[in-house]
Amino acid sequence: MKRYRSVAEFRRRQQQLESAIDPNKKVITICGGTACTAYVSPEVLRAFQAEVKKRGLENEVPIKTVGCPGFCSMGPIVVLWPSHVFYPKVQAEDAGRIIDKALLGDEVIEELLYVDPATRRRIVHDYEVPFYAQQTRRVLQLNGIVDPLDLDDYIAHRGYLAMAKALSEMKPEAVIEEVREAGLRGRGGAGFPTGVKWRFCRNAPGREKYLICNADEGDPGAFMDRSVLEGTPHAVIEGMIIAAYAIGASSGIIYVRAEYPLAVRNSKIALQQAREAGLLGNDLLGTGFDFDIEVREGAGAFVCGEETALIASLEGKRGMPTPRPPFPAQKGYRGKPTNINNVETLASVPLIIQKGKDWYRSIGTEGSKGTKIFALAGKVNNTGLVEVPMGTSIRKIVFDIGGGIPKNRRFKAAQIGGPSGGCVPARYLDLPLDYEAVKEIGAIMGSGGLIVMDENTCMVDIARYFLDFVQKESCGKCVPCRVGTRHMLDILSRICAGEGREGDIERLEELGQMVKSLSLCGLGQTAPNPVLSTIRHFREEYEEHIREKRCRASVCEALVEAPCAHACPAGVNVPEYLALITEDRLDDAVRLIRLRNPFVSVCGRVCDAPCERRCRRSDVDEPLAIRALKRYAADYSKQPSRPLAPAARGKREVAVVGSGPAGLSCAYFLALLGRPSTVYEALPIPGGMLAVGIPEYRLPKRILQADIDFILSHGVELRTASPVADLKSLMRNGYRAVFLATGAHQSEALGIEGQELKGVSDALQYLRARALGQEVPGGRSVAVIGGGNVAVDAARSALRLGAERVSIIYRRSREEMPAYEEEVEAALEEGIELHELAAPKRILGENGKVTGIELIRMRLGDADEQGRRRPVPVKGSEYILQCDQILPAIGQKATVEPASGILERNSRGGIKVDPLTGACSAAGIYAGGDCVSGGATVVEAIGAGQKAALAIDRMLGGSGLLPANVGASLWRPSEEQLERSLPRARESMAEAGRRRLCFEEVLGGLAPGSACQESGRCLRCDLERAASLKSGRGS
Amino acid sequence: MDSIKLHLNDRELEARSGQTILQVALEHGIHIPHLCYDPRLTPTGSCRLCLVEIDGQPGLHTACTRLAEKGMRVRTDGELIRSSRKLILELLVSEHNLRCTTCDKDGDCLLQDYAYEYQISENRFPSVALPAEGRNYATGSKAIVYDPSKCIRCQRCVKICAEVQGVEALTLKGRSGEVQVSTGFDIELKESTCELCGQCVGACPTGALYERAACGLGKAKDIVKTTTTCPYCGVGCQLVLNVSKATGRLVRVTSEPGSIPNDGNTCLKGRFGMEFIGRPDRLQKPLIKTDGSFREASWEEALDLAAGRLLELKSRYGPDSLAGLSSAKATNEDNYIMQKFMRAVCGTNNVDHCARLCHASTVAGLAKAFGSGAMTNSIEELRRAPLIFVIGSNTTECHPVIGILIRQAVASGGTRLIVADPRRISLAGIADIHLRHRPGTDVALLNGMMNVILEEGLADMDFVERRTEDFQSFRAAVEECPPEAAARITGVPAEEIRRAARAFATAPSASIVYSMGITQHTTGTDNVLSLANLALLTGNIGKECSGVNPLRGQNNVQGACDVGALPNVYSGYQPVDDPAVREKFQKAWKVSLSDKPGLTVVEILNQAAEGQIRGLYIMGENPMLSDPDQNHVRQALEALEFLVVQDAFLSETAELADVVLPASTFAEKEGTFTNTERRVQRVRKALQAPGEAREDWRILCELAGRMGYPLSYRDAGEVAEEIASLTPSYGGITYDRLDHGGLQWPCPTKDHPGTKVLHQESFARGKGRFHAVRFLPPQELPDGSYPFVLTTGRLLEHWHTGTMTRRCEVLDDLVPHGTLELNPRDAEALGVKTGERVAVSSRRGRIEIPAELTEKVPRGTVFLAFHFREHPANALTIAALDPIAKIPEFKACAVSVSRIS
Repeated sequence: MKRYRSVAEFRRRQQQLESAIDPNKKVITICGGTACTAYVSPEVLRAFQAEVKKRGLENEVPIKTVGCPGFCSMGPIVVLWPSHVFYPKVQAEDAGRIIDKALLGDEVIEELLYVDPATRRRIVHDYEVPFYAQQTRRVLQLNGIVDPLDLDDYIAHRGYLAMAKALSEMKPEAVIEEVREAGLRGRGGAGFPTGVKWRFCRNAPGREKYLICNADEGDPGAFMDRSVLEGTPHAVIEGMIIAAYAIGASSGIIYVRAEYPLAVRNSKIALQQAREAGLLGNDLLGTGFDFDIEVREGAGAFVCGEETALIASLEGKRGMPTPRPPFPAQKGYRGKPTNINNVETLASVPLIIQKGKDWYRSIGTEGSKGTKIFALAGKVNNTGLVEVPMGTSIRKIVFDIGGGIPKNRRFKAAQIGGPSGGCVPARYLDLPLDYEAVKEIGAIMGSGGLIVMDENTCMVDIARYFLDFVQKESCGKCVPCRVGTRHMLDILSRICAGEGREGDIERLEELGQMVKSLSLCGLGQTAPNPVLSTIRHFREEYEEHIREKRCRASVCEALVEAPCAHACPAGVNVPEYLALITEDRLDDAVRLIRLRNPFVSVCGRVCDAPCERRCRRSDVDEPLAIRALKRYAADYSKQPSRPLAPAARGKREVAVVGSGPAGLSCAYFLALLGRPSTVYEALPIPGGMLAVGIPEYRLPKRILQADIDFILSHGVELRTASPVADLKSLMRNGYRAVFLATGAHQSEALGIEGQELKGVSDALQYLRARALGQEVPGGRSVAVIGGGNVAVDAARSALRLGAERVSIIYRRSREEMPAYEEEVEAALEEGIELHELAAPKRILGENGKVTGIELIRMRLGDADEQGRRRPVPVKGSEYILQCDQILPAIGQKATVEPASGILERNSRGGIKVDPLTGACSAAGIYAGGDCVSGGATVVEAIGAGQKAALAIDRMLGGSGLLPANVGASLWRPSEEQLERSLPRARESMAEAGRRRLCFEEVLGGLAPGSACQESGRCLRCDLERAASLKSGRGS
Repeated sequence: MDSIKLHLNDRELEARSGQTILQVALEHGIHIPHLCYDPRLTPTGSCRLCLVEIDGQPGLHTACTRLAEKGMRVRTDGELIRSSRKLILELLVSEHNLRCTTCDKDGDCLLQDYAYEYQISENRFPSVALPAEGRNYATGSKAIVYDPSKCIRCQRCVKICAEVQGVEALTLKGRSGEVQVSTGFDIELKESTCELCGQCVGACPTGALYERAACGLGKAKDIVKTTTTCPYCGVGCQLVLNVSKATGRLVRVTSEPGSIPNDGNTCLKGRFGMEFIGRPDRLQKPLIKTDGSFREASWEEALDLAAGRLLELKSRYGPDSLAGLSSAKATNEDNYIMQKFMRAVCGTNNVDHCARLCHASTVAGLAKAFGSGAMTNSIEELRRAPLIFVIGSNTTECHPVIGILIRQAVASGGTRLIVADPRRISLAGIADIHLRHRPGTDVALLNGMMNVILEEGLADMDFVERRTEDFQSFRAAVEECPPEAAARITGVPAEEIRRAARAFATAPSASIVYSMGITQHTTGTDNVLSLANLALLTGNIGKECSGVNPLRGQNNVQGACDVGALPNVYSGYQPVDDPAVREKFQKAWKVSLSDKPGLTVVEILNQAAEGQIRGLYIMGENPMLSDPDQNHVRQALEALEFLVVQDAFLSETAELADVVLPASTFAEKEGTFTNTERRVQRVRKALQAPGEAREDWRILCELAGRMGYPLSYRDAGEVAEEIASLTPSYGGITYDRLDHGGLQWPCPTKDHPGTKVLHQESFARGKGRFHAVRFLPPQELPDGSYPFVLTTGRLLEHWHTGTMTRRCEVLDDLVPHGTLELNPRDAEALGVKTGERVAVSSRRGRIEIPAELTEKVPRGTVFLAFHFREHPANALTIAALDPIAKIPEFKACAVSVSRIS
């Protein structure tokens, strides 16, 4: 290898190498990063080499092993140059045809191309792949391009020019100033300004100084440092030389964990190359500056990423931190001034020197300049390394670059900064990520780990998981970290095990704050972050675990036998009734359901089926069609109306106000507990929203009536058209308890010009009138405003009532619509138009009648509390939609009149209740359903009624215990069945053209054969859990 | 050091720069709780209890790690501080096995104290204390128990082992809640590098580490503590004897940080070597031998018999037919009375003691060169010395606490170390230069070094001119020995000699530390004179961190010499042949005294063998094992007409006695010891002597009365007053002045603070005197029949003739027998493997002993420790004497080694 003796000589050679790059030369690059190497890339490489050799092309077509290009979920990646054709997940057997067809024949092999999961489009070139297209690659720019073990390749790509510049043209102080003004901050996590750090070390007295590159990347999931060291070790070395020159160090150390053998090997080879080329050692490039670097391997303790522990480890001591001050810059390795920078920081330095501080600071935020590499992992389609400008939002990283969340689940949170980072909830999806912002919301930048969590993640469990990691890695030196985190972990484990106690959250907060503020080093000072941040953002989940023993994500094993059953607000034993269906014991199945839910037929049709969202089968393929199976059981049961118990008798001590699902359920469960009750209904027909909200084509009247009749057969007294004016009178009538289930029958007002015009009518009223058989105003051209189920129901009803043109106007995009996806789908099929991203500005009219509506286009802005993007009007984008009827459906309000002046309200305007019992602020009064929630699902209302019934029973001296609903069936799938992959069964549906004409039920339910097959897809994970719990794992 | 001012709780305080906030607070009596802080260690900052607030700096800070800064305003108490400390304590308590009911440290436990102070009564956090069961690194140790369930992981044990002891045997293992103290790789303590100093136990703030033997003997709160002086080597460590109020038994030995000279540090003998005191084989009644066997007798009978026989011999053969061996293990008061008894009652100056065997050449040599034969400087200065030259001293084994001081000094980076020793001793491993000269060639080595110093103009000629005399004759002798010549004699390369010479001469100040490797030669005095020459030549005397520093072997060898247990001088080195001096003592003692200098130890035994000495009185010595040529000693003792031995045990020597008188040990009496740095320190009574054992001086007084010279003192203090009245250098020393760190002599008057550094303005003899010293080979050189040089010495684990240490289970278990150290290449030639028994023979005797193959000894040299009666080294050694000091040549004789097939 050539040894450069002067800067001039080096620059000459550099130019030669750079100009020798032939832009038309065909090259094949294959990823040689750790992940792909561990997978098949060496095999693929050998196959390519063999194929090239077979064709005698060794000299014409070089095959380059390059560093990790970052898109690890698609590895190994082969890119053809100069065409940039991109082939992911290449296997050895693909080598021959890629060379023949793609490289030599300049054809594109369609079936090997990358398919964008969002658009299903095949993408040819690497720069078009959304994962790459949205990134700003600076530090990673050469990863995937240069051969890490070829010094000349790096030099040809302008490598070591920055070092030559710094050493020959800049004084050390000038280098420090350049880096400081560029705004580079420590990428190891704390974000301390690098230039300032260098200056401390430079100004520290003493001649012997050390520069350490911290490559002890300990955060699980973070691997940017490894990739940079593996892929462009020379960039790190160059950065180190410049840093050493700036601070006046003559010895450097790369402290890299031994679990990174490839990074160790590549950096050692690169160091040797640099040494031989005169880029390390004495008198670098003839400038008189001496500097050399050695590689030291760490033994893998997490704490050794902390500066002082790292130094202790280098000194051969147990890796434990020491208090600061003194800082390493004053007294570090071997007691000498020492500067420690992380890999990514050092790799950024040559770019700053080469391209200048202004170039560097041109991107980023006010306080954080340049780019940051994130290691994207978790519940996201594209995983890998992502380099983006500081200030990029999580949304962009997760959805644009990361391709969103698999199975279209909801984004719940992102853990930023590794195990001691924090959980960032959906509402911060649009927050520009930089050091300050991340800290502000209770996380840390850390090394840039970004783990995406979806709705199936339990935040208590995740806090426990991360704390468990950090706790185990605590070096044990200081008391707060060693003991404090241990107690925190114990409390969290207890909560997850269903043994949480009142005060646990406060204890966690107290301990967490103490551990943070009193721990000796960064490990302890950040260890409580996952706990504190999840408490801060997901406190209600902690409370549910502690008080209700409920894990809404159905994760915590001790609380959850089957996730589906756990997710059901009514607590229906889903796996067992599915098993009963498989065994063709439909009567038993219905009976089992009715032990927890009297509305079998109703819920078989209109339930939002939270059970299906938690179904474990979805990890294999698709969730079970639980709702359809429930309907099947109800529809095909031989004795659908057989009561569960003899009618309750005796004094009616409980009054139920409202006969919707909440009220009737409460009455039903009270009856099962032997307590007869009276249900007061203001309307002439029972069923509440089920009767007057949901149109018949979704829920036929007779079906609803059958379920109600079943309930009444247990001794429930129903008084329709009996409004309750005030609660006090009711109590005076001798009832010892009242359950309020008055629903949410008022609509939110539109509040725009023209709302008083004829032809504008509230969608809820519209639906109710239709249900009560009253006259319904008909329009020819109908505009429905809103995106919820009421809007869709109104729109589809309007269509069925003869409208020629029906539009739904929604201010966000279709993805954000709260209405059930399949309803929207069906509506569109039926010909309903969707005006997404549009909001009404005013209603136009002539002669007091509606003639149209002026809309304004919206765009999506930042996330709201739930993480949904807020619509923002686009100025000047107004347009007019002609119509003669307008049905606003923009929200409901809880009906709370009977409780006025007696009961406290909650933040949503509903009645305030104890979530465990439904008890209100006044003794003896309970409430549940929409009048509490302001508008929720049927099954939630049933759950609320059930909960209140049990509480009332207890209050009246009963046990409050429903009959057990387990042990009905132990059927489980055979191995063979488990292995068979069957598609999820679909209900038959009436053809769109026919169904838009009438109110006949749209869905046809499952056929017996397919139902039985569908229920056989159940994994019976409840039995697994039960077994593991029994065997003591859950103790 | 600069002083700075800062505010603690609104009090303006003065602090030295470099002090931490905690140190400032403690110094000014401001209470800040702390568990991991130990003044001897670098700050750890792990317990997080010493939290304070600092104005202008957010959050809480650990006072133990923060340096006091000028103008700082610190609050050491407050609501946030207290609640934080309380939470920390709650956590610690939750991790602690709270069974104080069965804990030995109950009453002396910092965690307990703070838990009380902060009223940690309600346990808000469930206990996560580790179960006590299960093996750990100390389970197999006889010395130490470790209970992780009481461990607060403060690391004081780990750090004291590393930072003070320099051993690094301990570490932490595991992570988070599983962190425990252990050895590297979690091996048994005995297999580790542990030296069993027990410093870890001493540093433990709770009951996690404790002496195994002390478990259950008495809780800390039921213990009476008595501070006294260690009875082993000459360092004079201040020990605290912990005695149970209930049983009166010794429970354990501790030491307080801050004590002089050991700062709370001890070696393993100090901590684990006191079991002998309570051994059942202690002599409890006088013994009289009739028909070759002992019978118990009353004091009356034994004393009458002894007095009668001694008087009889004196009157029949004259006073000089009697002789006495005094004891460097006994107090100054005992020794003073012993020499007074020999001189005033028996009428002879034939009194000597084992100083003869260790440092007689020091006393003689340094007296000639400087006028006074003691360590010129103080132990504490070694910690700061820019250069230390250790020659003929295996300091870490023989003077362990000074050894660790040297280790610490070197580890701190501020001290360079030169070691000259034929053996690769432990200090050689950390030395900048190790001169590995042949045994007995010290003069050549030193002359070679001084030749270089003169040659290269590195001598301090200003000092030579101002403060010394006889330089020219010295110069002539040194010029005869260029480094090349020295290299031929010593086997040390000339360049190494040059390097050492330059390093020594160019150091801002240099301390010479030596011990018996220098003195126990026929050229012992010459060796000492050569060291004196080196110090004079480089001006390294009379100032701090320099000097010629003999490390005295026995605890009170300095004091025994000081108070006149020598044949030629009264106390304070006042010659017996000086008429004025004799007059002074005759007047004081009201008796006529002999002006004829007496016989030395070896001479006494020689003359006993020849029948000249007929009666011998031995107080607490064991010449059977300690003196050279054991067979000869036996013959001598057996030839005596009457032998009285006064001892705590029936020693090998006592077995030969006619009358044995039971004596009390150091723990059972009041008095003083004088350590190697001339520091007179108190010995205090902590225990009742067993049976009828009595203090040595009281026995002698009883005897004197029976021999017609009534001697009576109220207590030891009265004896001390008499010593002070007759001994100029002790003139100002009284017990009441010794309570805080003792006094270093010369201390002529009651208001004199004592003397740290000798010869500052002028030498005791006026000018320092150079001596022309030329190399002479050892008396006996290896030859065809006896091809090896035998050198002898001590082991860390044992003491002298083993009378004490071999009665301590911990120590005897650690090293149950001796070994012959043999170079592996020599062993190969002999066909000997490690552990095999070999026969070692000299012209005087033969022993059998297991061989230990080690590179510690060079080829051609073998080493034996002299502690073991099973294979006594002194069966082999030669009784050749230094002509001036009469010290025997223990350090070199010729032996043969052979396999026992």
